[in-house]
Amino acid sequence: MKTLACFLIVIPLWAQDPVVPAGPPQAPAAAAQAQPNPAQAAPAASAQPAASSSAQTPPPAPAKTGEDWFQGSVQFGYRWIPNNDGSFATYRSVVNLGEGPKLFDADFTLLDPSKRFFNRADFHLSSWGDPYNTARADITKDSAYRLTIDYRNIAYFNFLPSYADPTINQGLLLDQNSFDSRIRTLDVLLDINTKKWITPYIGFSHNAQDGRGITDFHTDENEYPVASIASDQTNTYRAGVRMDVRGYHLTLEQGGTTFKEDQGASDSQVNPGNFVGTFLGSALPLKSLSELYRVRGHSYYTKGLLAANPFKWMSVTGQFIYAKPHTDINYTQASSGTFYLQQILQFYSMGQDVLTGDANMPHVTGSVTVELQPLRRLRIVEYWMTDRLHNAANALLAENLLLTSGTPLSDQQLLTDRLVLNENREEVDAYYELTSALTVRGGYRYEWGDADVRAPALTGQKLEPANLRRSVGIAGVNYRIGQKFRVTGNAEGSNSDQTFFRTSLQQYEKAHIRARYDWSPQWRFAADFSLLNNSNPSPNVKLDYTSKVESASVYFTPKAVKWANLLVDYSRSAIHSNILYLVPQTLTATPSIYRENGHSLNALASVKWLTFGGTLFISSGSRPTTYYQPLARLTVPLYKHVQWISEWRWYSMSEVFYVYENFQTNQFTTSLRLSR
Amino acid sequence: MLNKSSRWAWVVAAGIGMLVSSIPILGQQPAQPPDAAKAASPTPPEPAKPADYVGSDTCKACHEEIFNNLQKTPHFDIETGARPSLTGKGWKQRSCESCHGPGSKHADSASPDDIKNPAKEKPGEVDRTCLNCHLNQNTPVGRLATGHAKDEVGCTTCHSIHGEGGAKLVTHNKGEINAKCSSCHISEWAAFNRPYKHRLPEGGMSCVDCHNPHASFRFDTVRTSFGNEPGCLQCHSDKRGPFVYEHPVVRMEGCTACHEPHGSANPRMLIRHEVRLVCLECHANLPIPASLGKNTTVGVVPPAFHNLNSPRYQNCTICHVKTHGSYVDRNFLR
Repeated sequence: MKTLACFLIVIPLWAQDPVVPAGPPQAPAAAAQAQPNPAQAAPAASAQPAASSSAQTPPPAPAKTGEDWFQGSVQFGYRWIPNNDGSFATYRSVVNLGEGPKLFDADFTLLDPSKRFFNRADFHLSSWGDPYNTARADITKDSAYRLTIDYRNIAYFNFLPSYADPTINQGLLLDQNSFDSRIRTLDVLLDINTKKWITPYIGFSHNAQDGRGITDFHTDENEYPVASIASDQTNTYRAGVRMDVRGYHLTLEQGGTTFKEDQGASDSQVNPGNFVGTFLGSALPLKSLSELYRVRGHSYYTKGLLAANPFKWMSVTGQFIYAKPHTDINYTQASSGTFYLQQILQFYSMGQDVLTGDANMPHVTGSVTVELQPLRRLRIVEYWMTDRLHNAANALLAENLLLTSGTPLSDQQLLTDRLVLNENREEVDAYYELTSALTVRGGYRYEWGDADVRAPALTGQKLEPANLRRSVGIAGVNYRIGQKFRVTGNAEGSNSDQTFFRTSLQQYEKAHIRARYDWSPQWRFAADFSLLNNSNPSPNVKLDYTSKVESASVYFTPKAVKWANLLVDYSRSAIHSNILYLVPQTLTATPSIYRENGHSLNALASVKWLTFGGTLFISSGSRPTTYYQPLARLTVPLYKHVQWISEWRWYSMSEVFYVYENFQTNQFTTSLRLSR
Repeated sequence: MLNKSSRWAWVVAAGIGMLVSSIPILGQQPAQPPDAAKAASPTPPEPAKPADYVGSDTCKACHEEIFNNLQKTPHFDIETGARPSLTGKGWKQRSCESCHGPGSKHADSASPDDIKNPAKEKPGEVDRTCLNCHLNQNTPVGRLATGHAKDEVGCTTCHSIHGEGGAKLVTHNKGEINAKCSSCHISEWAAFNRPYKHRLPEGGMSCVDCHNPHASFRFDTVRTSFGNEPGCLQCHSDKRGPFVYEHPVVRMEGCTACHEPHGSANPRMLIRHEVRLVCLECHANLPIPASLGKNTTVGVVPPAFHNLNSPRYQNCTICHVKTHGSYVDRNFLR
C-alpha cells in the first residue's frame, strides 16, 4: 500500500513537460520539523502561476500547460539504523523509528483546468513508512464545496521496565502495564457553498485504537501479568448550518457518536504471579484466565453558537452544548488456579463473573461573552461559563466460586454509582489603552462549583460532597512599539479555601511575561518567563509548589549571506514540589518531594549545503535524565528541481536511577527531493 | 539573585519606563470603536475630501504581485463575489479596499500615509477588521475570551493575508503550524525535547490538534471533542466513558491532574517520577465516618495492607489497572 502510494505520487513528476523554473526553492519539510521557526519552515506549495484576470473577471485563468496543473514536491528515501545499543524497549517507547524505505514528505497542489470537479486540491503526506504518518487533502471548488480530509496513524508503543514493575528498584521483571498499539484518526468535513447566507456542512470522524499488551489480573492476595488484546473505535457524525446575516452569525450543529470497545485478557499457562512464596501454606498460581469486556456506546449532542455585533460598542458571543453519552457493558471472566478470598477467608479454585450494566452522563455546557466599549480607550469583557455533568450508572454482577473444599458459592450484587459535577466561572476584565502603545488590564474571576462523588467504603455513605470556591485577581499589560517590539505580561493570584483536591490551585500566584523583538530582518530575539507558586497551608497538606520556566530564543539570517542562518532556543525549567501524604500502613504524614531542574536546548545552524545542530534535554532532581539528538544534514542540489538530502542523527537517552533503560542509536537517512 | 523587594523594584521601574517611553505617541489618534464601515475606512487626513473606493484594478496596477498572491487565497472570494454574504457588504471587485479602506487618495499620492495598513495597526484594530467577516466562524466560542485576545495577538500574527513568499493564509502542514506557534511559545516547545511527549517534533501532530488558538471555553484553549468533552478524548476515546465507576479527578481536574501533555522526563508523561506519589498526593485524607464530619478535599488514603515497603505496592497501576475509570470495579482493579 505504501509503495503504491509512493508510486502514484511520483508518477506525475515524470509525466510533465520538461522542467521549467517554478517558485522559490523550498526547504525540506524535515528541516521544518527540526527547526521550529516560521522563517525556516518549509514554504507550502510554491506560488501558482499568475492569473491574468482583472478585478472584473472571476479568478485565475484556466491553466494550459502541464506545469500549471501540478506543483509541489516529494521526498523519499531510506533509513539505516546500523546500531541500536541499550534498551530496545525504551528506544521503541521513546523514538520508535525503524529502518527501511520511507516517503518522508509529499506536498503538492493539483489545479483542474476545466474546474469541472474541483478548482484546487492540496495534498500533504508525511512520514509514510514511519510509526507516525499523516495525510491531508483539501479540495475546493469555488462556489460549490470545500472538502477536507485529515488522517493520522500513530504507533503507541510503551514498554518501560521502570513502569508498573513490582521490582521497580531492580528492574528484574517486566513492565506489567504496556501497549503495542496504533491510534488512527480520520476527520472528514464537507462545506457546501450554497451561494446564499447559509452554509450547510457535514462531517465524519473516526478514531480507532487496536493492539496488544500486558495487563494484570488481580485477586485478593496476588496479581498476575497476563497478555491482553484491545480494540476500540468511535465514529462521530455531525451536520450543521452556519448562517451569516448582517453582522449576526449563528451555527447550529447536531452530532452523534457510536462507540465500541472489545478488550480481552487471557492466560493458559501456570502463572505464579507477583506474590513470591506461600500464603497460609499454599502457593497462589493462576492456571487459566479468560476475561472479556464488550462495551457499546452511543451519544448525541446539540450545539448552538451565536456571535453578533448588535451595536458599535458591543459584541456578544454565546454557545450552548448538550450531550448525552451512554454505554452498555458486558463483562465475563473465568479463571482457575488457587486464589484466596479475604471476604470469606477461604481458598477457591475457580471463579466466574458475569456483569451487565449501563451508564448515562448528560452533560450541559453554556457560555456567554459580552464585550463592551463604553469609552474609546476602555473595553470591558464579561465572560460566564457553566459546565454540568451527571453520571448515573448501575450494573448487575453475578459471581460464582468453587471453593477448594468443593463447595460452590454464588452471589449477586447490584452496583450503582453516581458522579455529579457542576462548575461555573465568571470573569470580568477591563482593558484600558493608557497610550496607543500600552494597554493595561485588570480583572476578577470567580470559579465555583460542587460535586458529589463516590464516598470511601468505610464512611458508610454512598456519596460525599466537594466544593470549589476560588476568587482570582487578574492583571496584565501589553506593550508594543510598532511591529518590532512587544512585551506581554499576565499575572493572577488567588486565596481560596475550598478546592476539589489537595493538589488543586488554592493559594497561588501565576505570572507570565513574553517578549519579542524583531531587531531587523536578520535578527530576532524572543524571551519567555513563567512562574507558578501554589500552596495549601492546611496542617495535613502543607503543599508548597513552585514551577519556573525561563526561555530565550535567537534567530539570525545574515542579509549578505543568504545561505546561512542560525536558530538557538534555550529553556531552563525548575519544578519544586513538597506535600504531605499518609503512608498507608502507618498513617504517618510523610513529605512527597519532587524536584526537577531541566535545561533544554534547540540549536540549528545552516551553512550552504550543511545543516547541523540538534536538541538536548538534561535534568537533575527526582529523575535525572539526559536525552539528546544531535544531527547533521547535507542538502545537495543535483539538478534544478532535484535535491539529494542525507542526514545523520544520534539518539541517546540515559537515566541515573534506571540505567537499564538507557539507549543510544545512530541513524542515517538518504533521500531525494523532487519539486516543481 | 535578587531579593523580593529588589524584584518588585525592577518591576515598578520597568512599568514606569514603558509608560515614559510611550509618551511621544500619547497624542496619536485613539482606537476607533468596532464599526465595520469605519474600520474599513480610515479617517482621512483632510476631512473635507474623504477618500473614495477605486476598485482592485487600480490597486493591481502598482501592487500586481500582492494581487496575484491574493488570488491564491480564499480571500479572493471577496473579489469575485463568490460568497454572497460578502457581496452583500459591497466588496465585490474591491477586495483590497475591503481591508485597506478606500484608496483614491493613496492612488493619487502613492504615499503609504494615505492608506490604511493593517500590518502597522494595533492588534485590536486588525482584529476588528477581520471580525467584520470572520465573526467566529468555525470556532466554538468567540476569541474574546482567549489568551491570544487578552494578549492582543492580532490575526495577522499567524495568518499571512496576502500569502507572500508562498506562505499560506491558513497552513495545514503540521510542521509549519508547530513552527509558527513555537516562535512565540518557546517554553512550551522546549518541553517537547523531553523523552516522553506527544509526537509533535516528529510531525505526527500539531499544536492545533489539541488547542484551538481562536477560542475554547476550556482553560488553555484546549479543544473540545464530542460536543463538550476535552479534546484529549478525540484520540483517546477509550477514556471517554461514561464508566460505571468514574475516577472523579478525570472529570473534575482533567488529564493534566496526572499528566504533563507537552512532555515529561517521567514515563507516561506523568507529573511525578513514581506512580505511587502521583496517586498518594491526593489519596491522603483519612476516611472520616459521616458522624465525625467530612473531608474538605476528595481522595482517601488506601487501606493499611498497602505496605509501601513492598515493591508490589509501590506502583499502584499494577493492581489498579483501570485508573481512568472502570466498567466493573469501584476500586479500578478490572
